[in-house]
Amino acid sequence: MSYDDVEIEDMEWNEELQAYTYPCPCGDFFEITKEDLKLGEEIARCPGCSLYITVIYNMEDFAGEPDRKSNKGLDSSKQNSIAVA
Amino acid sequence: MEDYEEEEKQEIWSWGAGTEGQLGTGKLQDEYSPQLLHLLLPSSAGPIFMLACGGAHVIALTSGGKVLSWGRGTSGQLGHGDTVNSPHPKPVMLSDSCFITHVSAGWNHSGFVSDKGSLFTCGDGSFGQLGHGNNKSHSSPVKVSYFINKHVEQIACGMRHSLVLLKGSCGDRVYAFGSGKRGQLGVSKGRVNSVNLPEATCRLEDAKIVSIAANGDHSAALSADGNFYTWGRGFNGTSDAFSPRYIPALLCFTEVALGWNHALLLTGDGEAFMLGGNHHGVLTNPNKLLSSVKHLQDSNEANLERVPCLEGKKVVHIAAGSEHSTLITEDGVIKTWGWGEHGQLGLGNTSDQTLPQAVSLGRDVGEEEAAAPKIKVYCGSGFTIVVITSLRRPHQRLFECSNSVVPE
Repeated sequence: MSYDDVEIEDMEWNEELQAYTYPCPCGDFFEITKEDLKLGEEIARCPGCSLYITVIYNMEDFAGEPDRKSNKGLDSSKQNSIAVA
Repeated sequence: MEDYEEEEKQEIWSWGAGTEGQLGTGKLQDEYSPQLLHLLLPSSAGPIFMLACGGAHVIALTSGGKVLSWGRGTSGQLGHGDTVNSPHPKPVMLSDSCFITHVSAGWNHSGFVSDKGSLFTCGDGSFGQLGHGNNKSHSSPVKVSYFINKHVEQIACGMRHSLVLLKGSCGDRVYAFGSGKRGQLGVSKGRVNSVNLPEATCRLEDAKIVSIAANGDHSAALSADGNFYTWGRGFNGTSDAFSPRYIPALLCFTEVALGWNHALLLTGDGEAFMLGGNHHGVLTNPNKLLSSVKHLQDSNEANLERVPCLEGKKVVHIAAGSEHSTLITEDGVIKTWGWGEHGQLGLGNTSDQTLPQAVSLGRDVGEEEAAAPKIKVYCGSGFTIVVITSLRRPHQRLFECSNSVVPE
């Protein structure tokens, strides 16, 4: 059972962890990386306990960056290949 | 003053999440049972007057108006002038002439009120929760200039917001700043993302507020006549309140404690109530949760429910962590319930509890003391600290004094 639903804009980017974080009631932080988000993962876990939250975000916001420029307006006519790092 | 201090004996016990040093044990590990602390506090500071426990840090205010802190310091919330954790108490960088009368610890920020009515804040400021007119963080306390001509009485720090209570009996007395997304600032009827300068909380002008509380995205206040107001994130999945809501009850409340999803209330008659506790004590057991949600789903409003299983004993004090609860009964028993994964219930295990359970300190409190000890309990997000203050018996005092130099 997800502890809470949290919008990505309410999470904070942690440079050191290279992850978005949100406070966990245990005192630690729920974490999710950009790579996870790119893959469509929506569960952010706390490394210190069993709780997790559901992250609300648009996958498209993370799909392209930072590997290539967005091809907005072209996606209907042209299928974009998925960039793999 | 000095005579008074000599007669007091203080014991401090802690348990729960401890990996950031917040338990004050000197070890960076969780403790499932109460640990007696051997804190090195400067003797000139006097005994502990109050504690404030945040996400993973602790602020200790002594009766001499001095402040020490320990635990997580990565956002500067310890006020030590750096951004590192401290497993042991260290003085907060406040001026020597400053006599502090009230403190509060939020998720990653801290507030200090002086006897002159000044407010100082430090720690994470990224949501404006320090009230300095910007979103900067500070590693040592900075005076909040907005209140320079006002007299601050109390500070309450939540996850990403702060509340301030001014001295006086009329007009705007409750101010708020920081994140307001869930309505926790109560500064307007609409949605406010965040403010970094204090703004008056609306709808409380006519109530004589005597205490304020903040935790998670919740805010609360009690009036002199025992009325309870709450705003911010809704309890039990109810809608968020963007301005203070009076919770009607034929009860006179004297204490309020907030968690991240529940509130505890204490009446003048010594009865404890809970608001919004349908997740309480079932976080790690989803099956139990489903049955309790079912039980409550027909009511749209979160209800006050009496805390059960107290065997007719009156409650003298309450405290709430993010997902756990504690209370002290009139006979000096410490009871805990709620989420227990980090040992924050102090019951020797990591189980959740839906009903209050007695915590054992390994001996009877009050056994050796001449008078009933004063027990205060404080909860951080995932940990608990108890301060037991008692008067020594005369012969006991003599015995202990022989081991130390006591000025006559």
